[in-house]
Amino acid sequence: MTIQTMLSMLFGGFQTSLAIFALTLVGALPLGVLVALARQSRIKPLAWLMRIYISIMRGTPLMLQMFAIYFAPYYVFGIQLNPGSKWTAVVVAFIINYAAYFAEIYRSGIQSIPRGQYEAAEVLGYTGSQTFVRIVLPQVVKRILPAMGNEVITLIKDTSLAFSIGVAEMFSTARAIVASQVTMLPFLFAAGIYWVSNFVIESLLAALEHRLDYYHE
Amino acid sequence: MRLTTTNVTRRSAITMLGGAAMLGLAACGSTSGGSSSAGSDAATTESASSDQLEPTSGMDFVVGFDQEYPPYGYVGDDGEYTGFDLDLAQRVCEIQGWNYQPNPIDWDAKDGELNGGSITCIWNGFTVEGRENDYTFSDPYMLNAQVIVVKADSGIKSFGDLAGKTVITQADSAALEVLQGDQADLAATFASLDTRADYNTAFMELESGAVDAVACDLSIAAYQLAQKPDTYVQLDDELSSEHYAVGFKKGNTDLAKAVTDTLKQMDSDGEVEKLCEKYSDQGISYSNWCLGK
Amino acid sequence: MRANAAQQAGPADAAAKGQGAADGLPVVSLCHVRKSFGEVPVLRDITLEVQRGEVVAIIGASGGGKSTLLRCATLLERMDAGSLSYAGLEVARDEGGRAAYADKATVREARSRFGLVFQGYNLFPHWDVMRNICDAPETVQGRPKEEAEAEARELVRRMGLEGCERKVPCELSGGQQQRVSIARALAMHPDVLYFDEPTSALDPQLTSEVLKVIRGLAEEHMTMVIVTHEMAFARDVADRVVFMDEGRIVEEGTPEQVLVHPTQERTRAFLAHGKD
Repeated sequence: MTIQTMLSMLFGGFQTSLAIFALTLVGALPLGVLVALARQSRIKPLAWLMRIYISIMRGTPLMLQMFAIYFAPYYVFGIQLNPGSKWTAVVVAFIINYAAYFAEIYRSGIQSIPRGQYEAAEVLGYTGSQTFVRIVLPQVVKRILPAMGNEVITLIKDTSLAFSIGVAEMFSTARAIVASQVTMLPFLFAAGIYWVSNFVIESLLAALEHRLDYYHE
Repeated sequence: MRLTTTNVTRRSAITMLGGAAMLGLAACGSTSGGSSSAGSDAATTESASSDQLEPTSGMDFVVGFDQEYPPYGYVGDDGEYTGFDLDLAQRVCEIQGWNYQPNPIDWDAKDGELNGGSITCIWNGFTVEGRENDYTFSDPYMLNAQVIVVKADSGIKSFGDLAGKTVITQADSAALEVLQGDQADLAATFASLDTRADYNTAFMELESGAVDAVACDLSIAAYQLAQKPDTYVQLDDELSSEHYAVGFKKGNTDLAKAVTDTLKQMDSDGEVEKLCEKYSDQGISYSNWCLGK
Repeated sequence: MRANAAQQAGPADAAAKGQGAADGLPVVSLCHVRKSFGEVPVLRDITLEVQRGEVVAIIGASGGGKSTLLRCATLLERMDAGSLSYAGLEVARDEGGRAAYADKATVREARSRFGLVFQGYNLFPHWDVMRNICDAPETVQGRPKEEAEAEARELVRRMGLEGCERKVPCELSGGQQQRVSIARALAMHPDVLYFDEPTSALDPQLTSEVLKVIRGLAEEHMTMVIVTHEMAFARDVADRVVFMDEGRIVEEGTPEQVLVHPTQERTRAFLAHGKD
């Protein structure tokens, strides 16, 4: 196998990794906000439900959750799977898993906003949602950025778990090439691609942190 | 590029996000059913209606295999899935007019994939012995043996020399089954018997000296010996001998029979022998073919 | 709908002001207010009315209930008993010894009638001075951006904050921040402005900048209720001084009456032994 073939296969797999990464962020970033708010809701059953959900998502392996989501339709509801099911299952599992982690980070950020901010907004007549969107959330973003950066970088690497239900992403592609070609090169390339992509993400996060550095509390 | 078998359609992406928002397993169920067009032919939906698959022309024939299992199923030099079993499967599909789809799976998930219906069969150097009650098999087509591979300079010559040694094999593999069953007494003499996710990792550990021996299929051993003839030797003793067949979900007897018949026909046409020659340098020998002889 | 109502709030307010003055209705009226935190009574039967244009200074030792009174008046705390109304708009009334609050719309309307300047400023740290002042008029009252910004610039000038328009709070001194927070409250056109110890977080020099601004507002006959430790300032600027102790109003009257010739022993003791 030529190096070109190897690399183009790895980049093909990397596209799948990136698609999982991007869809997870698109789904989990907003979903996490809803979960964080529901978790702090005054409606006790809802808050409890979210607590249990977060606890399960953080307390069980993502790989197991993927298995559960992939196979539950068949084993619980008798719905036949098809080759498209696994892609759906991977993305759903990643989104609901990461939404739970994001929700806890959001919650820590929301709770760190001083009471005085809410009181000032209340006296000025802001509604609850205006207060959250205009005053609380922008400050939360700045506070949680380092923690979110950690999760986002972990997410890129976690995409390699997708093959446990048969979605071939970059790492499983690398392993398949290693097996047939009996060479370590694909691992080296894969490591390089992971690192470079995380380096890009780190740089973007650093730029964003710098942008938000115009104020401190 | 065939490796990324999963193309995301716009529709399925939207359905997925909807499913995520609903947070329920029920939602996942309906999304899975609803996105059947993603990455596959629409024909899949037909087969989804019943557990019992009838061989029909034009149907999807999804072959589940371990992509790290040369020479049966692996990534070829051109980046396409290839291997002795996959070539057989592809040819059977051509003859039957089925839509051949190679689908790499995580070996540990094979039963779920098969029962759930996302793959039609497991065709991947799949040992019959010990699994008779779990699958509906085609007739066995290949003889195989479970053997032990050690490093050439290790000084291990026979099973007796393995006492106190570290032996590994693939998780959920036939070799493991034998070592935990008929050969449990032998396994008891080892320092330890561990498993790895795939044989490639196992052989990397053997080569690097982390372990003393790998228990595996005859053909796996032949493949690795062919790649690095000076590094490994295979012990003359065999742990067991066994047969390979195509595994279907229980009850799919018609489909299994159709595959058996087609394989027989290919053998009498001489196609099988040619295919064995193609993979001879990787440990496949026509002398081990057992179907219709 | 809300934007519309809010847009009319300016002129409607003016009308209400005129009418309120004509009717002689107090801008704010608190009657028989009681409040406990758990078992601890903090306000015990407080009655306070503030007339239009009046400047009331509330003094007293810490823990005497001054801040809690302000927080009840600004709806940050709920009273246990008593009534509260803003120029005839009844926000809470006493029903059999319990305070019964009006519906959300009334409470919202009442909020538009007062402003509060906090001890710790509570500016929004992620916004510059202009946004801090303009945002509530635009977002809450739905006023046009140009109008809100023009008024904000005028307020910046009056507060002596020229050149700070694009600075964020952390770049300002405490005195400047407190003046921004006064401007933020004024931009909402309140009928009455409350100050909760506005200078206690400031050193003497910065204190004088802020007091100067408040004095300026008093000269313009802004209705104000000021909780303060600055006795000299209270005497100087207030029309009426209220001395609170242990959750009660012990003594009230002109600055001369309360601060120079107190009749109550507790007032004398407080004035003699220091402010806090």
